[in-house]
Parts: sequence; structure tokens; C-alpha cells
Amino acid sequence: MKIKINTKEYEAKDGETIFVACMKNGIKVPTLCGTKNSHEGVCRICVVENNGRLITSCNTKVCEGMKIVTESENVAKARKINLELLWADHAGKCSSCKKNQRCELQNLAIEQKIENFHFVPRKEEMTDRENLDLLKDNRSRVVVDEGNACLTRTTELCVECRRCINVCPTKELSFNNRAGDTVVGTAFEKPLDCIFCGQCVKNCPTGAITDKNDLSKIMTDLNDLKKMAVALVDPAVLESVAFEHPEISCLPAGRDSRGKLISVLKELGFEKVFDLGFGMELSLEKMTQVVKTSAKNNLMLSHCSSFNLFIKKYHPQFAKNILAVAHPDELMAEFLKTEFAKKEKINPEDLVVVSLSSCIAKKKEKGQNLDYVITVRELGRMIRQKNLKLQDIKESDFSSGLAVKDEKIKSVTRTGGMAEMLAKKLKVKYVVADGVPQIKNILRDLEKGRIETKIIEAMVCEEGCINGGGQSRKI
Amino acid sequence: MVKETKIITKNWSQIDPNEIDDAIEAGGYRALEKFIHKMTPALALEEIKLSGLCGRGGAGFPTGIKLESVQKEKGKEKYFICNLDESEPGAYKDRSIVDSDPHMLLEGIIIESLIVGARKAFIYVNGNYQKQIEILQRAVEQARAKNFIGEQILGSKYNLEVEIFAGAGAYICGEETALINSIEGNRGEPKARPPFPTQCGLFGKPTAVNNAETVANIPWIISNGGKKFATIGSKKSAGTKLFIVNGCVKNPGVFEAPLGTKLADLIEKYAGGMQNGKNFWFAQVGGSSGRLVLENDLVRKLEYDREAKIPLGSGAILVVDKTADIHELLLSWMSFFRRESCGKCVPCREGTYRLWEIAKRLQDGEISERDVAAIKDILWTLNNTTFCPLGKFAATAFGDALSNFQKEIYRLSK
Repeated sequence: MKIKINTKEYEAKDGETIFVACMKNGIKVPTLCGTKNSHEGVCRICVVENNGRLITSCNTKVCEGMKIVTESENVAKARKINLELLWADHAGKCSSCKKNQRCELQNLAIEQKIENFHFVPRKEEMTDRENLDLLKDNRSRVVVDEGNACLTRTTELCVECRRCINVCPTKELSFNNRAGDTVVGTAFEKPLDCIFCGQCVKNCPTGAITDKNDLSKIMTDLNDLKKMAVALVDPAVLESVAFEHPEISCLPAGRDSRGKLISVLKELGFEKVFDLGFGMELSLEKMTQVVKTSAKNNLMLSHCSSFNLFIKKYHPQFAKNILAVAHPDELMAEFLKTEFAKKEKINPEDLVVVSLSSCIAKKKEKGQNLDYVITVRELGRMIRQKNLKLQDIKESDFSSGLAVKDEKIKSVTRTGGMAEMLAKKLKVKYVVADGVPQIKNILRDLEKGRIETKIIEAMVCEEGCINGGGQSRKI
Repeated sequence: MVKETKIITKNWSQIDPNEIDDAIEAGGYRALEKFIHKMTPALALEEIKLSGLCGRGGAGFPTGIKLESVQKEKGKEKYFICNLDESEPGAYKDRSIVDSDPHMLLEGIIIESLIVGARKAFIYVNGNYQKQIEILQRAVEQARAKNFIGEQILGSKYNLEVEIFAGAGAYICGEETALINSIEGNRGEPKARPPFPTQCGLFGKPTAVNNAETVANIPWIISNGGKKFATIGSKKSAGTKLFIVNGCVKNPGVFEAPLGTKLADLIEKYAGGMQNGKNFWFAQVGGSSGRLVLENDLVRKLEYDREAKIPLGSGAILVVDKTADIHELLLSWMSFFRRESCGKCVPCREGTYRLWEIAKRLQDGEISERDVAAIKDILWTLNNTTFCPLGKFAATAFGDALSNFQKEIYRLSK
């Protein structure tokens, strides 16, 4: 069908929303609450005008004869007032915020030229002891949840956009209270204890849900002359890093940022930078051994940390099916601290292994050899903190010593990659589950005895680590 | 007093609401018998369409059309929901129906469910109405014992279960998609339409949601015919309506009056006029979300009409005299909406909060230039960009008060 957007006529498909139609034709409509799969129409910022009436573009489907105006006086007014109301609900402590310069709310405020505010921020501090009162009391309070190793949640910065609720595959988060007191939270405000896939962190437009990190500790270790800092680079992050920092991607844009990324890491103070592919090969080797020697069927591969947590938390009856092989980062760290340290004559205690990963669950499941796990976003913060000038960075190569034998190993970052390789090697059957809904189906089938195979590979993030929770958010 | 036309209140205070035999003696369940033995669902629907009955919850959507679109839907599983959430401050008509004649309501529910082809009906009651829930439970049990509910009702092929569902007591759950969310076990928040509940409602099945007062009209229509019902009331909207008159009147309470009754008549003839020594200032028609009516508009007819200057809403009328404190009223409206907004969309969640804040400052007389500009902006965004009508409702009374009593509100000398 044909619809008119601003001055031109465009072709639009039946059933698609105005928002999608605009995006497809390169017309930008700002939004705060939409994610890839859900458009709830909550933030009311994507409003457009249709025949003089304001409607939200994200959840209104196109109709024949629509005349959409994406920028008008009323549209600008609506966006501005709603944004101002939202901003007042937000603490606005930008300079000390982890998301500073990467905050969608901040960017929108700049874009819409919000200069003077009518309202005063209104959130009050809440301490842990008052948790119970929160349910009784209707005043709006701030809930800070730091009771886990992976992420920090603070409702002070939350703008109730629901992205985290919509993307959460296990529905751990929801709304508490109502009206102006609405806050995102867990049931009874218990500390979050989920599978830490990190999708909420990735999608949060503000700094309400952020990576829990030890950046200050890492910085101290990096500056410690006695210690030797080693960075492991997960091949899955390369594209995402380029997206987060367009300056370090090589041309053509976004193809590969490896060379410059290595230089950046060295600039940050890492003495050696290795490819995690080596760890993946270790992991594949170990898994081959275990699978070969095991007489059992339905063995579950263990390289997705979120999946391990998922089984432990929701389906403990399958815990015995999981292979007792640590994830590649941990295996590689172990190798570094034993054989590599011996060869290079370094005291293992002086070796600091940091993994640049696409996953936040690894922070919880990191094991004793791996010291820190940082995500793409945290790397960005380190770069900003150090004020690195990325434009002038030259390319360099991985440190020698731990070369990857076969580049094909890198397909394990994609769902099914590891199982495919194992199956090829051992000539066994396998089943792959991509994302939590598929995992649930497979577990149901397993329970009923409808599946009988040698290995099962499951990844919590859809398509694998490329969409991991530690990656930069692509719009 | 005026000559009364009684449809809903005909048995009030004549029967014991806890005794089904009383109700049957007073003519209860005759319409159900007539429907089962002498009518088909299509025929009964025709009568309802003829009657011109429209929804009494506030929006005034024609009931016949709503039922028809559910009846038309294919698929065996359908639901009927009677909306008894009634949470508007000053509205207690639906509650009064249950208090006085629960069986009339139940009969209406059964007939409507069978018309649309539902095998399960819900009565969604505001959880605060403990007394009414008990009455309804008793009524359902008694009706089941008489085989008005259950398998093969009165020896026919119809089956129906009626369940009473107590909500948690939220204003927004009176909105049908929020109500459906609530029964499904989700947060009580409105959903985007389309799809409409008549196609994809409760648990994704076609669902008809009717206000309790609407339902209570059905037995009379089935018994006496739609044509006769259409002769009652005004040209534009047929039937009678329960009006609740509160405030500075001599005789506040629930009154059944034909639609099209003038507001002045309602106050003077039904509610006994103003209290001694009180002077009429304005009336708010339709509960907290209603518009303000000044003296010169008292002659307007109260009816369901899309173009009407005064939307009737739920029929709650608050009469305010000149000694009332407008600041206190503003604050009470805004406290209500601040509390009852579901928190889904930004303008309503934040806007009602800010208006409440400003209303507090208005009461203390500490208003600043900034607030005056903010009020305008918030009212505008509430009117134009909210997800559901609650946002608009929140702005109605405040906006009306502001345009009519600016001098008093801002404490301007002249």
C-alpha cells in the first residue's frame, strides 16, 4: 500500500508499523522503549502526526491513505514535554554515571534540545533494611541491587521503559507498585538471582542496569609494574567493538577491528594480548575426551555460562548431564598460569588474566584462574577514562606464543558451532537449542524421553555470543 | 417526586437479596426461561439491538453491536465478563445493584453469556467490595441449585459456569483490556487495540465485557421486548440510567431516571434540591474524570451522545456549593489519579504525579511561574499523548476548573 510520510509517498507493507516504515525509508523517529521484538508504546516519544492527530508510530500499523508527519510543532512539543517528564523522574547525575556519553536518554535530551526543566528530580534513597517497607509504603524509593557478581541495578536512574522486562528470557524482572511509584524490580525486591544473560544490561537505555565491575582494581593491576597483565580477546566481540568505537574499525567499516583493538588494549596497559581461539581449542579437546569416554547419552556442552546457570536454577534434574569442562576463558587462563608461566619464568601470582568477553555470566562463573571479565561496554569506559585518542591508533598483531591452529574454531561463538565440530570429530548425533524458548522445548522433550542423542548444545543468547549480553547494543 | 420508570430498581428494597425465592417471586429468571424455551440467541440479540441499549460504564458503546461481534466469531471458546470494578470516587451504582437485587444481575449475565456462546462467565468485582462478593457468591450458589447455572440449564443444551473474580482494587482495571490482563494474572494495565477484546480478549479468545448496569437491563429487554425499551429515555439514548447524586443536596443517593433527564431536574426533583442555605456553584458529572457544569448549563440533557458537551460517564454527579474549597478539590482529584494511574506510559505516570505535586503547592499558595507553565504543558500532553483514556480523564476536571475558576485557583485579586 502507499502511504505519505512528510512530503513523499512511500510503499509500505501490510501489517508493518509506521515506525518500521519510517526506518526502512531512512526517516528517523526517536524512541526510548522499543526493542527489536517489542514495541509497547510506553515512552510516547515516537509520536508522529496522522491527519492532525498524534499517534505513537511504534505500535500503530500502517493503513492505506495515511498522511504521516514526523516533525511538526505538535510532535516536537509532545516529545519535549514527555522527555522532560521522564528526565525529572531520572536522577540526572550524568557526570558520575557509568553510561555517560552512551546514554540514550541523554542523547535524546541533547537531540530534542531540552534546556530548561520545569521539574525537580524526585527519587529518594532507600537502604536495604527498608525493603519490606517498600511494599507497604507508597512513596517512591530507590532500590539498589548489588547482590550478584554480574550486574548492578539502581532504580534511581530507571525511566521505566520496560526494555529489560521485555527482553528478559526468564522473566525475572517486572514492575512493582503502581502509578508514579512504579519501579522495575524482582519479586518482593529480593536480590536478583537469574541466569545473567545480560540482555537487560545491553538494552537498558540509561545507567539503571550496568555491568558490575572491578574497573578500579583492574586499573590498579594494570598500573602495577610488578604484575603482568594479559588480555584475552573473544572473537565474538570484534564486530561489536567496531560498532561501539567506529574509529577503531578498519575499512571497509566494521569488517574487522582486530588489529587496532590489540593496539588499544596494549595502550591501556596490557602487556600481552591473546586470541581466545586458543582457549576454544583447549575446550574442544577436553570436551572431545570427555564425550569419547562417557557412556552416557544426552550430554550437555558447558561453554555457555548462562546455560549452566539456567540448568542449575530451573532444571537441576539435568545438572548431571552437563559436561564438567570449564569455559574456554578459564581453560586458557589456567594454561597461562601453569605452562605459559613456567615457560616464560613468571610467577603465576603476578599474572593478571583479563578476558574481553561478550558475556556477563562469565563474571559469575569465572573460576579461580581467570581474574577479571570485562565487556565491550566496560572496555569503552576504560578508553574514555584514559582519554585514548583512537584516531591515531596503528594496527598490531596478537602476542606470539599461543597461536590458534585453525581459524575455523571461531565458529564456536555461534550457536551449534561446538556441537558441529565435536560431531564431525566423533561421528555422533547432536541437537542444538538456540535461545531460551528452544531450550525449554528441548528440556521438555528430554523429560518425556522424546530425544535420544549424544550431545546437546544450547546457547541462551539467540544466535550465540554475537548477540551476547556483554555486547554493544545495535539499533 | 416525579413519576418513575423503573427497570433496574423495580425490586429494590422489596426483596431479600440473599433469597433467590424472593427474586423469583418478584419475576426474576422469567426472562431466562423465556430466552431458553422461546428464543434463539440470534433473536435475543435482535431484541437487544432494537432496544438501543448502550454501555453504562462510561463510553456508551452500543451493547448489541458488541455482543454481535462476539457472537459472529468462530471458535468454541468464548468468554463473557461482567465489569463490576466501579472505582470512581462517588460512584456506587453497580454496588447498589448487587446490594439490592443480585439475581437480576446474574440473570442478565447468564442470558448475555448464552447469546454470545460463552461457556464461562466472570464477574470481575473490585476486591474492596467484600460484602458484595459474599452476596454474589451466595446468589451464584442458589442459582446453581436451581439449575440456572451449570450443565444443561433448565433442561436445555446450554452449559454455563459463572466465576466471581476479585481484583485487587484498581481504577484502571475498569478499562476492559486492563481488566482482562488482571484476570489473566498480569499487571492491570491497558493493552493496545486493535486487536479488540471482541476478537482477541481473555486468554486470546473472543470476549464480551459489559458493565454491571448494562447487564442488569437485559432481563427487562428480553421480557418486554427491545421496542418497548427504545421508547423510554431520549431520542439519542434509550432506557433509564442510575444516577448518583452526591454533595450539597438534601437527599443524596442512587436514582433511576430516564436518559435525557435534565441535570437541573435531577438535582431538584430527585435529590431534593440544594441543602438549606447553600448556593449552587458547579456540578461535576461523571465522577472524578467528569467535566464541570456551571449554572447556565444545568438545563442540558444527560444522555449518551458522542457530541454531547457533558459526557455522562458513569453517572456520578457531585454537586458543589460556593463554600467549597477549589484547591482541596483539585488536590483530591489529583491524589486519586496519581494513585490510580497504572504507571505504563510516561505522560500519565509522571504527569499525574507532577500535577498532584503542583496541586499541593496550589493549596499552600506557593505556586511559581514555572508551575503555571508546567500545568499547561502537562494538561496538553495528558490530553494528546497518553496510552489509554485515563490520562485524558485526569486532565478533564483540572483543565475545566482552570479555565472556569482561574481567579480563585491562582488567588488573583481581579
